[in-house]
Amino acid sequence: MSYVTLPYPFEPVEAPPEYRGKPEIDPKKCIGCGACSRACPPDAIRVEDDLVSGVRRIILDVSRCIRCARCEEVCPTGAIKLTREFELATPSKEDLLQIVEMRLARCSICGKYVGRTVRQIEKAKAVLSPLPRDRLEELLRVMTLCEDCRKRRVAQALQGVPTALLKVWGEVHG
Amino acid sequence: MAKRRIRSLWVFHLNTGACNGCDIEVLDVLTPFYDVERFGIKLVGSPRHADALLVTGPLTRQSYYAVKRTYEAMPPEPRMVVAVGTCACSGGIFYDSYAVHGGIDKLLPVHMYIPGCPPRPEEILFGIAQLLNIVEKRVRAKVVKVESPKPEVDPCERLWLDLREELRKVVGYFDRDRILSEFKEMVLEAYRSALPFRKLEALVEDYCKSVDDPRLCFCARYLYAKLRELVERYSREGYIVEDLLREAAWRRSGGLSL
Repeated sequence: MSYVTLPYPFEPVEAPPEYRGKPEIDPKKCIGCGACSRACPPDAIRVEDDLVSGVRRIILDVSRCIRCARCEEVCPTGAIKLTREFELATPSKEDLLQIVEMRLARCSICGKYVGRTVRQIEKAKAVLSPLPRDRLEELLRVMTLCEDCRKRRVAQALQGVPTALLKVWGEVHG
Repeated sequence: MAKRRIRSLWVFHLNTGACNGCDIEVLDVLTPFYDVERFGIKLVGSPRHADALLVTGPLTRQSYYAVKRTYEAMPPEPRMVVAVGTCACSGGIFYDSYAVHGGIDKLLPVHMYIPGCPPRPEEILFGIAQLLNIVEKRVRAKVVKVESPKPEVDPCERLWLDLREELRKVVGYFDRDRILSEFKEMVLEAYRSALPFRKLEALVEDYCKSVDDPRLCFCARYLYAKLRELVERYSREGYIVEDLLREAAWRRSGGLSL
């Protein structure tokens, strides 16, 4: 038994508490908003929407992660955390993937899948629940619309407005 | 590949455009403290003597043919390739650069991926030990399907999120969650009394005395000031957060005393 050399692979070693190791998504807390994928500098986290079967996949590729903890910084629910796990060496790269799948929400008018998950809308509902009832209902109505239905809604709202007024508004706002 | 015992691996270290972070960690592994030479590993000066090629850095356009020639110069058996660092594994942060092809696996068959930016010496040791069949791999791909539509949400979620946003301006991610959870405890403690703000002020002062880190102390006072502002702003919007806080505190204390 030497006194200088670390007997590492034969005896376990713990990383220091502030060590930034492998990131991990907690599926119980994740709402699938994709904030992490936008913050990630090397695009190690990708968000893929399957609009036909209505599934959102959050794909975390640890082999591209640079452990900057930007995802942990932006996550609104604290779902993604950098663990202290560091024993990641593997002969095949597929082992380094973590995929979280969740359901997409449906548009409340046309019934198509929209680019938001059901959990995202539930979370928004819970956060906004103390608002006055009429405002909350209005927000919820907009939240569950797809892009097309939203545009149609704005167009309908603008139908009664005189065209001259719309022109002025267009000039002001570009 | 059939599993066999490799006795002494001679390694040629090749930097294909790394930032030197991984090279420093490789150097660390060779020091007496980590001592990779106890596994029979030796760094050699020429690919002609090498059994394994240890690559650090992304595969750049500039180094493409040099890597190819190095690989061809190695003896045909066992011609192992070890990718050390995130860049060598997949291109890392440079993956979409015009000057980079991607990871080293775009050109050579890789036997061991050791991700990390840079990987710590233990991580490299683990990879080497796995190559020599001393340890088994620990990671596995995970696919999770989340079926339940409702995430776990705190009733005062909006307040905590706003406070977190304020705290983001003054403290880094590592301490933020800890400070916020400690402050949360203090708030819930304070809302059990009749005059919550006075109680909270006393709690914050006590907290400042008990910790010796001035940053934590600053953050606690900062959060207290922000909480007062937020509660006022919310009440102007018709969102009475104090009732929710009182209820949460009551529920907590009821659970404790009964």
